[in-house]
Amino acid sequence: MTSTSDLIDSLVADAKPVRRLRPPVTRALCWLLFAALMLTLVALVHGVRPDLMLKLRQPTFVVGVAAALITAALASTASFIASVPGRSRRWLWLPAPAVVVWISTIGYGCLTNWVSIGPDGMSPGETARCFATLAITGIPLSLVMLIMLRYVARLAPTPVVMTGSLAVAATTAAALSLFHPLDATVMILMWNFGVATLLLALSGLYGRRLFGWVAPQG
Amino acid sequence: MSFRTHRPGPTLSVVRNAHDAAQADHAPETSETRPDGTLDWSILMAHAQAGDRDAYRRLLEAITPYLRALAARQIGNRSDVEDTVQDILLTLHTVRQTYDPALPFGPWLITIANRRIVDRLRRQGRLGAHEAQFDPEHETFQAAEANLQEEAADAGTLRDAVERLPAGQRDAIRMLKLEEMSLKEAAAASGMSVAALKVATHRALTNLRRLIEKRGGRS
Repeated sequence: MTSTSDLIDSLVADAKPVRRLRPPVTRALCWLLFAALMLTLVALVHGVRPDLMLKLRQPTFVVGVAAALITAALASTASFIASVPGRSRRWLWLPAPAVVVWISTIGYGCLTNWVSIGPDGMSPGETARCFATLAITGIPLSLVMLIMLRYVARLAPTPVVMTGSLAVAATTAAALSLFHPLDATVMILMWNFGVATLLLALSGLYGRRLFGWVAPQG
Repeated sequence: MSFRTHRPGPTLSVVRNAHDAAQADHAPETSETRPDGTLDWSILMAHAQAGDRDAYRRLLEAITPYLRALAARQIGNRSDVEDTVQDILLTLHTVRQTYDPALPFGPWLITIANRRIVDRLRRQGRLGAHEAQFDPEHETFQAAEANLQEEAADAGTLRDAVERLPAGQRDAIRMLKLEEMSLKEAAAASGMSVAALKVATHRALTNLRRLIEKRGGRS
């Protein structure tokens, strides 16, 4: 075991200039720009759902998608702000109102479309394409978020990463609603939990390794 | 960023130019201290972010006693406190780019410190669940002198029983058994004959056995 003064010596010796983080809101905007880029790319490659114009006239659909997008914006901002040490954790509640609206529209869809979704309400082909969209939007967004938030790994990863994954899940859900003709509510719900657990597992494993790489233990 | 009214102006101007100041020449000493003469940790950290090792060393040395006190308030074990302080310093080093000099330094430092302190307390809790402290009791348990408590109790019982013997028998037991005199010495000391001593001892032992058994049966 090294003594504390030895540790200070080695830390001082390692004190290279660092670039300060940009303000959290700026970083959240960067991430949202990236998310918008991803959604545009998917829209160009895949095309929007055939009945989009029709759906856009349904208030529930519009409210649901808008709430998901607002959730994404607020949740990413919240996680970037709360990830900075010394900022209040209460920021993490920022997306709560939008989440409530978003989840309640999902719940409404579940109630009204329960029978039509049913056990064989989805065709396997469409489901597979849905999953492709999920992966194409969700994985890059998660990775970018994880890299942007890597410094939080040693601080308080769980709540921040949960909020970050909420942003990813909301973006992905909005993408699914815009690009796929089925209201894959159950899948969206599953995907929410999936992203959350995936990100938590990754931050648990990857965060520690990254830390060991960034700061070799003296 | 412009001057803020709730903080002294001159220090803020240094924050803004921290990078230039560290590059060109060292910032004047006065800028790193507060009006009351204490080091301004915020300014030091800003300089450290720009790569000023001297400022960084002074900052780390200044916050270490503070962190130690902070950790000692919640962690009992002394070596654990020191480990925690080192953990905090390491974490601070890896996340030093997250400090924004426009914000106060204290909350930033305390958030990091509390994180490591809580980690340490959790680890203590985990270890504590599986490990028992090595008490002095465990150490003496196997030794020949173990159960001294019981022996003391036995001795007390015997002493009480001896006290209740008739005077002659008591003297005989005390001299021959407790003080381990020979029969001749005891006879010389007490003025009793050897035969009388033998008889007295024999009767005393019988009485003692009876007294102690009675006592044991009662308890």
